[in-house]
Amino acid sequence: MDTNSSPTIDIAGVPENTPSFLDSCKSFLMRWHFLSLLSIALTLVFWHFISVHKILGGTFLPTPWAIVQEIWRLMGELLIGKNLFDHTWASLRRVFIGWTLACFVAIPLGVFMALNDVIRAIVKPVFDLFKPMPPISWISLAILWFGLGEESKVFIIIIGSFVPSLINSFNSLRLVDPALYDAARTLGANRRQEIMEVAFFGILPATFAGLQISLSLAWSCVLAAELVGGRSGVGFLIILGMNQYKPAIIISGMVVIALTAWFLTLALERIEKMVCPWRRDIKV
Amino acid sequence: MSTYTIKCSCHSVSKTFVQKETHFVHVLKDIDLEVRENEFLVLLGPGQSGKSTLLRIIAGLERPSTGEVKLNGKPVDGPGPDRSMVFQTYTLFPWRTVQGNVEMGPKFRGISKEDRRRIGQKYIDLVGLNGFESAFPHQLSGGMKQRVGLARAYANSPEVLLLDEPFGQLDAQTRYLMEQEVLRIWETDKRTVIFVTNNVDEALYLGDRVVILEGKLPGQIRTINEIPLPRPRERNSKPFLELRKNIIELTKLTL
Repeated sequence: MDTNSSPTIDIAGVPENTPSFLDSCKSFLMRWHFLSLLSIALTLVFWHFISVHKILGGTFLPTPWAIVQEIWRLMGELLIGKNLFDHTWASLRRVFIGWTLACFVAIPLGVFMALNDVIRAIVKPVFDLFKPMPPISWISLAILWFGLGEESKVFIIIIGSFVPSLINSFNSLRLVDPALYDAARTLGANRRQEIMEVAFFGILPATFAGLQISLSLAWSCVLAAELVGGRSGVGFLIILGMNQYKPAIIISGMVVIALTAWFLTLALERIEKMVCPWRRDIKV
Repeated sequence: MSTYTIKCSCHSVSKTFVQKETHFVHVLKDIDLEVRENEFLVLLGPGQSGKSTLLRIIAGLERPSTGEVKLNGKPVDGPGPDRSMVFQTYTLFPWRTVQGNVEMGPKFRGISKEDRRRIGQKYIDLVGLNGFESAFPHQLSGGMKQRVGLARAYANSPEVLLLDEPFGQLDAQTRYLMEQEVLRIWETDKRTVIFVTNNVDEALYLGDRVVILEGKLPGQIRTINEIPLPRPRERNSKPFLELRKNIIELTKLTL
């Protein structure tokens, strides 16, 4: 502070403000990663405590360590001819098929609705009727129509992920700054160039937001569909655990779903960062 | 008076916007204006005086309700690369780097990649953004963004440069610097410039001529003033301050 008023004496090798041991401990404790790890560890300890003292769920709450062992066991053991990987893959495959099909139709449809008044006038009333229906309410109908096989599950996922994809792509064009079209026109762009440059890039961020939302909805849908009827998938594992009074299987299924969905979200974010390098505000 | 060529002209241009189908807003009325080749013309007026609308009409982004705009004696029909615009809100393409933004005009006109690169680099250097070619707009400060805007406008090699309150969003110090910069760039590579502002000092510092608009709608030209001061102009010099006093008198608003 007062370097101007009093000349300081430099002693070689001894910096003036060496942090004390206490300070360095404090700054280590306040580090982001340390705090994150601490919060996870405390949650696990809390869970363990509840489980051991049978505060919640009686004997039906296994300890965290029991879950780890259960997941390990399920990786090797076959349930209805499939181990944990096979079941996870069954769910993942359904999500992937249903979600991709829904997005392939919904995103272009949303853009056309935004661009063309006639298409909007035709599609929007029907869509508005269809929009508030919870996708899960279609399950019974889907089973009656398509049976208990893959089709009914994929159908539910399509219904569930279609709505957010379409809403986001429909709104995405309106989020583009209209002055950018002016800028393109004064630079000599023709109508096609204007759309290719401004609209195409402009709708990408909102479209990716729609992809994320619809992906998480697709997961809810696949779970619900597998709970109701199915011989494979993580949802089926959860129901199996309930029927056999084995909560460890249920919680293992929940953990596997959380991990898979989290991983997919991260992957999609990675892709968005690659496709839209100008976006700085992408966060989990 | 020396002889000059007329680059761009407005002939009794009026503009009326229709709101809610019955409500008419008269924004411009009988604007007659001749812009000389390679002159720095400033349109000075407060907010809501129609000056931006006039600029947009010259750019071809709006159509005049009556009258016409001519460039080199030919009527203007829609926007074109012969008139480039710099916007108050920058309007850079956020998904393009500095280089991508500057090369956009030549790209739209179908100029080959190597030529685009060469033209782009020339104007990036001219506006002093050397080293920032691969930065995205959101990584730049306001002043730098507007340098990109200037380079982008220049890269199309336009005959007329239209600047719509380009420094309106900058802080006072950056604004002074950018005013000097825009003159330096213009003196290096002369074009016909139409510069819109609401700032008297900026108008006097920059303009060969200052067109003062009426302070209310419909926008009309009140006076056109020659600014006979040599450049670089000294904002505190006696002749500058005297002219400033006169212009402020002329721009007084009435209720």
